[in-house]
Amino acid sequence: MHWYEWFALAALAICLISFAHHFFRLLKLGKPRDYSARAGSTTRGIVYSFTAGMNPRNKESAFLHLPTYTAGVIFHVATFLSIVMFFLLLSGLECSRLICILLTLAAFSGAAAGVGIFIKRLTDNKLRRLSNPDDYISNMLVTLFQLFTGLVLLNNGLYPAYMIVAGLLFIYMPAGKLKHAIYFFAARYHLGLFYGWRNVWPMKKP
Amino acid sequence: MEKITKDKIECGLEVLKRLQDSKLISHLNSCVHCGLCADSCLYYLATGDERMIPAGKVDMVSAIYRRYCTITGKVFPALVGARELDDTNIREMVDLLYGACTMCGRCVKHCSIGVDIEYVIRTGREMLAKMGYVPESLQATVDAALTSGNNMAIPDEDFLDTIEWMEEELQDELNDPTATIPINQPGKNILYTLNPREPKFFPLSISAMAKIFYAAKESWTLSTGMYDVTNYAYFSSHPGHSRIIAQRMYDELQKMQAKKLVLAECGHGARANRWEGPNYIGREFPETVTSVELIAGYIKSGRIRPDRELNREVVTLHDPCNLVRSGGIVKEQRYILKNTVKNFVEMTPHGMDNFCCGGGGGQLAMSEYNDRRIKIAGIKAEQIKKTGAAIVATPCHNCVDQLSQINVTYRLNVQIKTMAEIVADSLIIEHP
Ligand code: SF4
Ligand code: SF4
Repeated sequence: MHWYEWFALAALAICLISFAHHFFRLLKLGKPRDYSARAGSTTRGIVYSFTAGMNPRNKESAFLHLPTYTAGVIFHVATFLSIVMFFLLLSGLECSRLICILLTLAAFSGAAAGVGIFIKRLTDNKLRRLSNPDDYISNMLVTLFQLFTGLVLLNNGLYPAYMIVAGLLFIYMPAGKLKHAIYFFAARYHLGLFYGWRNVWPMKKP
Repeated sequence: MEKITKDKIECGLEVLKRLQDSKLISHLNSCVHCGLCADSCLYYLATGDERMIPAGKVDMVSAIYRRYCTITGKVFPALVGARELDDTNIREMVDLLYGACTMCGRCVKHCSIGVDIEYVIRTGREMLAKMGYVPESLQATVDAALTSGNNMAIPDEDFLDTIEWMEEELQDELNDPTATIPINQPGKNILYTLNPREPKFFPLSISAMAKIFYAAKESWTLSTGMYDVTNYAYFSSHPGHSRIIAQRMYDELQKMQAKKLVLAECGHGARANRWEGPNYIGREFPETVTSVELIAGYIKSGRIRPDRELNREVVTLHDPCNLVRSGGIVKEQRYILKNTVKNFVEMTPHGMDNFCCGGGGGQLAMSEYNDRRIKIAGIKAEQIKKTGAAIVATPCHNCVDQLSQINVTYRLNVQIKTMAEIVADSLIIEHP
């Protein structure tokens, strides 16, 4: 293995250890005790929270902002695929040409979406006001990671640069908002638990 | 504003550091600053003020959490936008968390991630309350409840006079001298509560509910010991104060040996007693239901017989946020209206997506923010206008108060009524 592969792996290990710490802390702290008489099903609330509760038709953050919402979905799907690709590349496993083309397209689409989100953050007054350096750095690192995933699939010579970008991303992930990779699930779990208990979710039609 | 001291800072931070479960850290670490919640909040929609987007309010709390409770925030605060708990930020917190949020929870449903924005705002209010920064007018309302037993500090004699007067009205209306508004009678099926606005300003809603109980042949009582359904400490978010008020309700229920606590029409009162009360005092309440659920049950079971022909005007419904979004009561009020009025029209949007009237979150008690409260109500005024309704029904006395004010300001020319009043108007009373 080359030094840049060791670097990326070490960064990944740091990231995973940190995420594991957050995850086990959440598990250890557990869920809140509720003394009120339960009115609904927490299981159904949690299932709803991760399914229909995220339906774009039910959320103004999605249906009032379709371009941004779509860019966000592409960005996140491409991030997931790029991480899968990282392991494939590192393991030296070859994938079929068709899959390679699809992954390249996905990575570039993700990077394009990332650039779009970055520009929106820079130019939209209320977003700029809300943002801190971490928002820009996180966006930039993930976008670069996707861009290099696409590029390395086209040109193997960029492999060392790709590994360095991946390593930087992994080191940075636990430091800022990218922790939401864990906390997103925790937040939706708690929301489902809360609204399920009160029989607010699954949502009733008036 | 009094300057912050080290002790106060510690008091405030204690709230963030107190991790008794994973809920708080989950929501404090989840916001990705996408800003997509902005258009779900009536404050931002009505004012266009970028400070007022829900995520900005969340950030007032989470930025302090990052500064004192995360490694990155301690070492590189500027990188993650971490903030000190200092005078400037406290001033901004008071203005945004108390003065620019009705705790309606509308943004929560629409947040792209699932951050419980309202819960984080309430946590921020708790920090401020523990440090002694509750807006004066809100604190005065809480203090009135703590010292007198009801948030309007109505003396018992005045309360009893009003009840007596309403009882006479009831007897006249029903033409039955035996019709009563029972008071301080232990062992009844129901201990009924009131919003102190009723005896103070809207006593007819008491006789309306008494008429419904009469028609249903219910065994019920009021109690001078504790009839106030509200808990304004839920708005100030002072845990000690909210506990005292909730405990009082629990104790009264035990003392009166009633089987069931019925909560008068009050959105936050329903939430504070049905859902938060047991958690404030750390024990389950006996059966607790809202009057909306009770009345819907009476109609369903045939215990009362309404006649829709007696309410012929166009009626629309304003859903109180706490009843709907935090209590899951959506169908009951509609069931009641569909059975008691001839022409019922919905607002757009309604139910889970309904906009707050602007009076929630303690806004009605905070005179400091009156202008803002009336301005944000423009959204509700537009909603009402578009229905063309002559009557706005709402199961919440705080909403009645706010809607009555916007009725005048925005020249809506409608009548505002509680559900009990609508139902009472439609009742067919069978005399034995
Ligand atoms: S709870 Fe309501 S008022 Fe408060 S930020 Fe959310 S939408 Fe705005
Ligand atoms: S929609 Fe949710 S995640 Fe996005 S900025 Fe608002 S609170 Fe944060």
